[in-house]
Amino acid sequence: MQEYLILLAIGLPWLGAVLVWTAGNGRPRWQHGLAVASSVAAACATLALIPNMSAGVALRLPLGGVLGDFTFVADALAVSLANVATIIGGLAVIFSVSYMAGEAQLGRYYAMVLLFIGAMVGLVLSSGLLLLFFFWEITALCSYALISFHNDDPAAVAGGIKALLITQLGGVGLLLGALAARAYFGDDQIESVLRATATLPATAQALLAFGFLVAAMAKSAQAPFHTWLPDAMEAPTPVSALIHAATMVNAGVYLLLRFFPAFAAVPGWRDAIVVVGVITALLAALMALVATDLKRVLAYSTVSQLGYMVYAIGAGAIFAGEFHLVNHAVFKALLFLGAGAIIHSLGTRDMREMGNMRREMPFTAATFITGAAALAGLPLLNGFWSKELILEAGQAAGPQWAYWLMLLGAGVTALYTARMVWLVFLAPAGDRARAHRAASPMRLSLGVLAVGAWLSWLLAGPLSALLAETLPYHDLHVLSTLHLIEEVLSHPATYLALAVVALGLVAWLARERLKPLTARLSWLARAARAGFGFEALNSSVVWLVRGSAVTIQPLQTGQLNWNIAGIVAGLIVVLIALALGG
Amino acid sequence: MITWTPATVMVLGVIGLLAVGLYGLLTVRNLFQIIVALQILVKGAVLALVAAADYVGQLHLGQSLAVTVIVADTVVAVIGMAMAVQVKQHNRTLDVKALGSLRR
Amino acid sequence: MLNLILIVFALVCAIQAVTATRLMRAALWLAGVSALTAILLFRIGAHEVAVIELSVGAGLVTVLFVFAIAIAGEDAMGERPIVPRWIALPATLIAVILFGWMILPVGAGETAAAAGDFSTMLWHERGLDTLVQVGLIFAGVVGVLGLLAPARAPFPVRRAEPLPPLRAEPGAEPVAGQEG
Repeated sequence: MQEYLILLAIGLPWLGAVLVWTAGNGRPRWQHGLAVASSVAAACATLALIPNMSAGVALRLPLGGVLGDFTFVADALAVSLANVATIIGGLAVIFSVSYMAGEAQLGRYYAMVLLFIGAMVGLVLSSGLLLLFFFWEITALCSYALISFHNDDPAAVAGGIKALLITQLGGVGLLLGALAARAYFGDDQIESVLRATATLPATAQALLAFGFLVAAMAKSAQAPFHTWLPDAMEAPTPVSALIHAATMVNAGVYLLLRFFPAFAAVPGWRDAIVVVGVITALLAALMALVATDLKRVLAYSTVSQLGYMVYAIGAGAIFAGEFHLVNHAVFKALLFLGAGAIIHSLGTRDMREMGNMRREMPFTAATFITGAAALAGLPLLNGFWSKELILEAGQAAGPQWAYWLMLLGAGVTALYTARMVWLVFLAPAGDRARAHRAASPMRLSLGVLAVGAWLSWLLAGPLSALLAETLPYHDLHVLSTLHLIEEVLSHPATYLALAVVALGLVAWLARERLKPLTARLSWLARAARAGFGFEALNSSVVWLVRGSAVTIQPLQTGQLNWNIAGIVAGLIVVLIALALGG
Repeated sequence: MITWTPATVMVLGVIGLLAVGLYGLLTVRNLFQIIVALQILVKGAVLALVAAADYVGQLHLGQSLAVTVIVADTVVAVIGMAMAVQVKQHNRTLDVKALGSLRR
Repeated sequence: MLNLILIVFALVCAIQAVTATRLMRAALWLAGVSALTAILLFRIGAHEVAVIELSVGAGLVTVLFVFAIAIAGEDAMGERPIVPRWIALPATLIAVILFGWMILPVGAGETAAAAGDFSTMLWHERGLDTLVQVGLIFAGVVGVLGLLAPARAPFPVRRAEPLPPLRAEPGAEPVAGQEG
């Protein structure tokens, strides 16, 4: 049963992609319909996997000596993220029906989105490192294709290439790890890595651990590899919601979650993760505070929240990280889709040109503000529970300086969220055309996600139980939902965090009075607008590579004799190597 | 001193032909002369094949491999000469230096 | 001993071929190298290959050279080489001395009974090689025919049309208000 469901969950979106492509751009209603149908069918398949979870390999496709076997596993970590991918994917596709209505080249759009959904499901369900790398690359390809979907816009194309380059360079770390695992363990199964990494020599362990960390950092846009995510906002907004908020950027965090037991003992690994998480969370929050493009604020916010998850993993709180991953996917997708509805009706992404949307788009406003409240960590929404869990675990198990910085980050999160909500919905509108209300497909997706933002935290208990049951190497203990409520409500750190969040909200409301303070901090605002030097770092790397290519070019003389001289030189090197090697 | 077995003499011959062929490839500028240098290299290779076959005792196997090499090298020489003729017609010169246009 | 003399002559011919100032002379020196190599092959005991080498190397290739040089015309030669001689000579010497140092000394070798005869080897045991050679010769013929064909009129080049703008809908996202 599991085998068929796994194959369906990956194969249905891919079949849908082929069908949408062959339906042709002359039949958009067929394309919309097929896309929705295949993504909903995939969601049904992954939902059906929930009662069918198990710990070991669920599906094995033997492929002969060189490639080894392709194995899939259906444990709780994999199935929960597969469900996130397909359900949010389905909602984003439904949203696209009205967002992309009338656009040209729908076939390319839907085919890439469906290909992505299938690849993401495959990524989390795979149990072999080379297979995981295969799906990893496919998600990178789809991300590139969708960011530069409007390929007549140079900014979109540049953003796509930047995203592709950074995530692929990180993927080299994953490939190195996979090959090292293959060399040391004989097969590339995740289980072998989890079981036997401790027996490897220290340098091999460090290579695996930090290689995977680099791949995760690049994919999940952690500093210093975060510069691609804000530029990826050139993609159509449903794509931003699906790929760059809810699924693909989770692949890096998933990698860390999956391999935590193997590398937790590697010296410096957990500390490195904590440092990366804290720096990313804080810097991204500050950059979100000064941005004026609505999607960029949400992009920086995604980076910041991923920093929280990474910090949780570094502190050893696996369940808190996974829980926040699921909750964040729900409310971040909600925020992005809401932003998409607003951008679609107003035609601009600049928050300074918005305002008064509360009266003009009330349904969208209600759902968006729900998502924003979840992001800020207001009580009873899903973001509150998972963020508190992370902060508590961080205080108990992680370094104290990191805890205080993350607490400050929670305050800044509340501040930029309040700023965003005020600028878009509550501020008086400037001189602009009146917005139209969101269409029904958009409302459907927004509504479902808003309900999810209120209720998804209730899944904590079953999720924790299933994780503990099906992940034998992770050593998790079960936390039922009641326990969760009890623990969060009774811990003093919760109230401290709530106080900081309230402080953040109040700081926005009292911004006029705080003007002297903000004037003193203007250097920080300037640094945040310049991306804290990371964009400059990016540009200098590009300049360095181009410069060295231009410098080396004269070596290619184009003359036959020099080419032969190169061959003779190579011959001499080979002969010397043979002579020395005996 | 080295014992002058027949195989040693042959290997010395091979080395000499290879050296002359490589030196020629490095220094000549005329396309036809390059083909000449290539031919010399291949003669060294054929000699090496047959000498090795004689050393191992499987002369006939070495001979059939040598035939293959000779045929292949002759086809290369023919096509090289046809190309040289065309180059002369287009560029008015057979100098290798005039053929560097792939770089630009 | 005779082999050594033949080898020395062959090397002299080869050096003359590479350093000749006129193409015809280079081709004739090459014919000399081929002939001497053929005699050497015969003396090893490879009679069939010696005959092939003599007829193909000394005969066919030399005639081809003469014809091609006649068609193409002589060119000025003997200019300074592109790779300076002080690089070329040491590089070559180092390569071959390394090579020789690794191979020599070579022992006496085995004297074995010849297994079968040459034609069985050529047509049965290495039959696939022979078939491939036929294909190779055929490919060479086609290549030369193509290379020496008279020039055809070039294909007409279609001027590319400018692409129609893709985003003409009101629902599209313009790029606005970017942050640095």
